[in-house]
Amino acid sequence: MSEPRHALRHPQKPAHIPVDRPTEGIRPEETPLYEARKIVKRYGSFVALNNMDFHIGRNEVVGLLGDNGAGKSTLVRMISGINPPTSGEVFINGKKTDIRTRAESEASGIETIYQDIALVDSMSITRNIFMGREITGRFGFMDHRKMEEVTIDILGSAVQISGIDDPRKEVGFLSGGQKQAVAIARAVHFKRNILLLDEPTSALSVRETEHLLGYVRDLKKEGTSSVLVTHNLYHAFMVCDRFVVMSHGAKVFEARKEDTTIEEVTDHVIRT
Amino acid sequence: MSNSQADHIRRAVAERAGRTFPAKVADWIRDRPEGGIAVMFCIAQILCIAGALMFPGEFRYLLPANIAVTLKSIAPLGIMALGVGILMIAGEYDLSVGAQYSFLAIVCATVSNQLLGDISEEHASAAAPFIAMALVLTIGALIGVFHALITLRFNIPSFITTLGGMLLWKGATLLYHGASALRFKPTEPFRTIFGGEIGVIHASIIWFSLFAIAFYFLLHHHRLGNHFYAVGGNRNAAVAIGIDPARTKIIAFAIAGFMAAFSGVVAATRVGSIQPGGGLGMELQAIAACVIGGLALNGGRGSILGIVLGTALVFTIQDVLLLLRAPAFYFEMFVGSLIVIAVVLNTAIRRSKA
Repeated sequence: MSEPRHALRHPQKPAHIPVDRPTEGIRPEETPLYEARKIVKRYGSFVALNNMDFHIGRNEVVGLLGDNGAGKSTLVRMISGINPPTSGEVFINGKKTDIRTRAESEASGIETIYQDIALVDSMSITRNIFMGREITGRFGFMDHRKMEEVTIDILGSAVQISGIDDPRKEVGFLSGGQKQAVAIARAVHFKRNILLLDEPTSALSVRETEHLLGYVRDLKKEGTSSVLVTHNLYHAFMVCDRFVVMSHGAKVFEARKEDTTIEEVTDHVIRT
Repeated sequence: MSNSQADHIRRAVAERAGRTFPAKVADWIRDRPEGGIAVMFCIAQILCIAGALMFPGEFRYLLPANIAVTLKSIAPLGIMALGVGILMIAGEYDLSVGAQYSFLAIVCATVSNQLLGDISEEHASAAAPFIAMALVLTIGALIGVFHALITLRFNIPSFITTLGGMLLWKGATLLYHGASALRFKPTEPFRTIFGGEIGVIHASIIWFSLFAIAFYFLLHHHRLGNHFYAVGGNRNAAVAIGIDPARTKIIAFAIAGFMAAFSGVVAATRVGSIQPGGGLGMELQAIAACVIGGLALNGGRGSILGIVLGTALVFTIQDVLLLLRAPAFYFEMFVGSLIVIAVVLNTAIRRSKA
């Protein structure tokens, strides 16, 4: 932390920070839950992900770090099947799997909390939670009573956010933090193997953030691995077991928590 | 499954369930997009009925003949508005439904007449009008799919696609039939099923009610309806959660086309002839009825009850103006003002709640 501060105070003496080169990173020791190899994602001539290797182990929380535009959200959207890669391979439990739609990632047990929340303002909390996964009876008609019952349960358990007491309330009338809580509650309810959290704490209060990070730790004990995308290195250090730093669509640093320090990780995030 | 942390929510829900009836009604009016219009509709009906009771000689609102005519005129626009409304909830427009209404009614009548479906034919066929109708309902749905594919494939606003469609189908009507009126007097039992009357209730209003009920269940209680709201309300969120917006929108477009065709055939059966320009402007009236009924222009918000009340209110106003022998242009002025008032009212109610 001291180096960059120093540089900020004395701009006439720019500190020399060498730019990181892409790194191979850590090889998984056992068969990971999820592994992506040599992922390339192009948008026209722009390369958003460049030969990226990434894996999520069992009972592990991975911190995905990097400055804005490093490609973190692109990687998360790739893992969750919304933006399929241009080339590269994906393995689920060591088995090569093609994930090109959200339905396919859902089948692999991947659940995501998106940066832009992904809720429909004009729909009720219950309908948002079960959007696309409605509990239906015969002929596809929805079981409103059951969905509401489950909603009440998960609103109470997953992330306790004060002020939500009506599962029929329109999401548009909730505060930013409450909306995020609904998105988190939804993902937590449907998660099976892997939970991806893309900047989940940006709209949360300090207390709500503590609660969420605690929840991520609890999930690990229950066997759900997570990927936490964040700008806040302190949050990352509170829960993550391994850190991956990205820059310009590639991995530039990777270390297990016990092999690194917050200073070292910060240093790599800053060098871009 | 239950847990104690959710108890405060359960208590709050139970408390809301135990509200008094007036409190429930007040909350419903405030919470629902069609709440404001429901109040306006009730006030309009109370005023009309009071007026009719006070001046039974001059203001013949309650005369059976008047009720019958009003109900009859509601049905074609209402049937069309149900399709247009569902499409609007899914976040798209169809400006071509008025042109489809005329075009498909003319196709139906032509095919039916060629298959000896006219009542004056010597060996009249009972099945002919049904075959013709099945054909145009299919064509209507396919036209909707066609508009949807162009809109989605080239990622252009459906406003543009269906504006083009409106002119295309209007031209196709003239190309196919010319500008003259076409006779449509189908054989029985078609005539009774789509044009019969029981007292003041015309068959078309029964069909409108049946569709309204069916679409109520589809939109508010079926999985697909939930997807219409999701795709129209926030397309990106729907994609992120695994709903296919293209499939959902194609179905909504198909429903709009199907309903335009149905509305055209029902109106033609009632009148007995078809004017090639008869549907012009109906697309905007249908959108107006939907907006008055609380549907959001950018999708994701609205209800079947809103569409029904919106249509009914438009025709109540038309009826009152006719009974008062007001010139026809008053109607448009009133409907124009009503659209703005309804949206202002809905926005104000929502703002006061937030």
